[in-house]
Amino acid sequence: MDQFMDRKNYTHRNPNPNYTPNYNSMQSLRFIQALARINRAAPKPTTPSRRTKQIRRAAYASMAYTSGSRHNWSRALLIRLRQRQRLRSLRLLTVRRRVRIVTPAMSRPEEPARAETLRRLVPGGKSMEYCNLLEETADYMQCLRSQVQLMQSLVDAFSS
Amino acid sequence: MERDLFSQMDTDLNSISYLSLNYDHQPVLDHFDSAISSMVSSPSTAPPPPGHTNSLVIRELIGRLGTICNNNNNNKSLAAGGDHSTNTSCYSTPLSSPPKSSLHSLPSMNPNSMPFPPDQGFTERAARMSCFGSGPHMAVSGQLSRVSSSQSLMDAGMTGGAQLEGELTMQESGGGANNGRKRKAGVKGKGKEASLASSGTANSKMSEEDPSAKRCKPDCKLGGKKGGVEENNSNSSENNNDDRENKNENDSNNTDSKPAEPLKDYIHVRARRGQATDSHSLAERVTGKAVMLDEIINYVQSLQRQVEFLSMKLATVDAPEDCNMDNLLRKDMHQACDRSMQQEVYPSAFPYPNQPQAGPLNSLLTANSISNIGMQPASNLPFDGFGNTSAQIGGFWEDDLQSVVQMGFVQNQEGALSSQSFQGSGPSSSDMKIEL
Repeated sequence: MDQFMDRKNYTHRNPNPNYTPNYNSMQSLRFIQALARINRAAPKPTTPSRRTKQIRRAAYASMAYTSGSRHNWSRALLIRLRQRQRLRSLRLLTVRRRVRIVTPAMSRPEEPARAETLRRLVPGGKSMEYCNLLEETADYMQCLRSQVQLMQSLVDAFSS
Repeated sequence: MERDLFSQMDTDLNSISYLSLNYDHQPVLDHFDSAISSMVSSPSTAPPPPGHTNSLVIRELIGRLGTICNNNNNNKSLAAGGDHSTNTSCYSTPLSSPPKSSLHSLPSMNPNSMPFPPDQGFTERAARMSCFGSGPHMAVSGQLSRVSSSQSLMDAGMTGGAQLEGELTMQESGGGANNGRKRKAGVKGKGKEASLASSGTANSKMSEEDPSAKRCKPDCKLGGKKGGVEENNSNSSENNNDDRENKNENDSNNTDSKPAEPLKDYIHVRARRGQATDSHSLAERVTGKAVMLDEIINYVQSLQRQVEFLSMKLATVDAPEDCNMDNLLRKDMHQACDRSMQQEVYPSAFPYPNQPQAGPLNSLLTANSISNIGMQPASNLPFDGFGNTSAQIGGFWEDDLQSVVQMGFVQNQEGALSSQSFQGSGPSSSDMKIEL
């Protein structure tokens, strides 16, 4: 995962004139690389649950990295991933309360009742306006769906 | 830039093979996708009123949500024939249900309600549901539906004539809420296919009756179906302002049946032409926005659960997966790229690890490609990820791999280039870098 993080600032100009950054291709690339890395790094004794968590983290990381800083949810996801990685590497499992300037739900009476649930689902949704929340939800849904399709195709390829 | 990405993602999603999705959640996805597709926004022709920017933005966002899933839904419907029918059933209001006389139980609706027309077309439903806010431009469409409903009343050929006349007489007697409701109940039985008979008399009649009949908050303007009645809009828009005052009179007739929407005490729902107008279907329309939000939440939750499930499956897949990573990459790229480019662009892009030629190119390629980890590359370059290699080689391969990935998406000539570039000789590496 840390290797994944290091590549964040890694930008290269592709000599290929026909190089068009394609969201799905980038996402697939990142995820498959992460998957390969996990498989490479993990010795056999790794429990399936731990690998599950690693793979899930890799999935969300690939989503977040491919989206980059364009969306609030990807930024929030990246921050969360990095925090957890830092905590894990330093073996500090204490959760630090960080002060968040967030409008509590009670002060937003104009929203529908389920908006709170949506905020919990979408990363970084707690501090967004309702409009932005819906927009972020749209992007998040698209990314999630492409990620799910990618993983499903991988599973199919592996099992066939 | 964000919008460009969005459109790009739309096209990408269109090209993804939906048939590859074959697990149990598929019906849920279909169901949700159809529901989301019903949120396709209609192009708004009126400028956004200053005080309603928020609602307009929300409407556009929901429209975007709809376009995503509308595209998806179109593809899926192409792929899996009868899904539309199953999907529509969830939201279709019963046209055949008899008009309820218990109009006093008309549920109260807020101005932001999304109507649920019983049409089979999701896009039409979507356009209606895309209106989260209310504005003067919606008055136009509201008027539209009234005109259209009256015109459908006029259209004796499409509906029961006697019923029509009954409704007309009720209408002409004037009087407010009850008349309007009964008229709508009558309109309900008209059927969806009532064609728009242009009749100036109908319009004038409507204009007269507007102040007296019950006015509901207008829905958003639709494309498509309402194209024929646009001429009426100009006449009726000015009437609508008067009509809103009448709305307040009718508030007392509405009951509050939506505690989840505390915004207003009442919800106005305007019947669109061909829509069901009895109290049951109106109630369904009232809960449209909340239902859509629930659908969104369920969809996101189901997607996240699927990610968990699939990561579990991937974790439990055993070792042989490593050998096939290059094939997977190829397969995956092919799935993700355009259908039109179903060509083998990796003739020798990923040489197998057991090739005797162990030049730096090949070794790097094998190490970089997600190939068998048990097979140690002959090269002594420790390469277990882009970030860890020596910088230049890493950079080289980052570009290369990305461009190799692009080959699956981009041009035909790359195939020829790759075949010649992966010869494994040293000097060709620079060529490859340039060509790719």
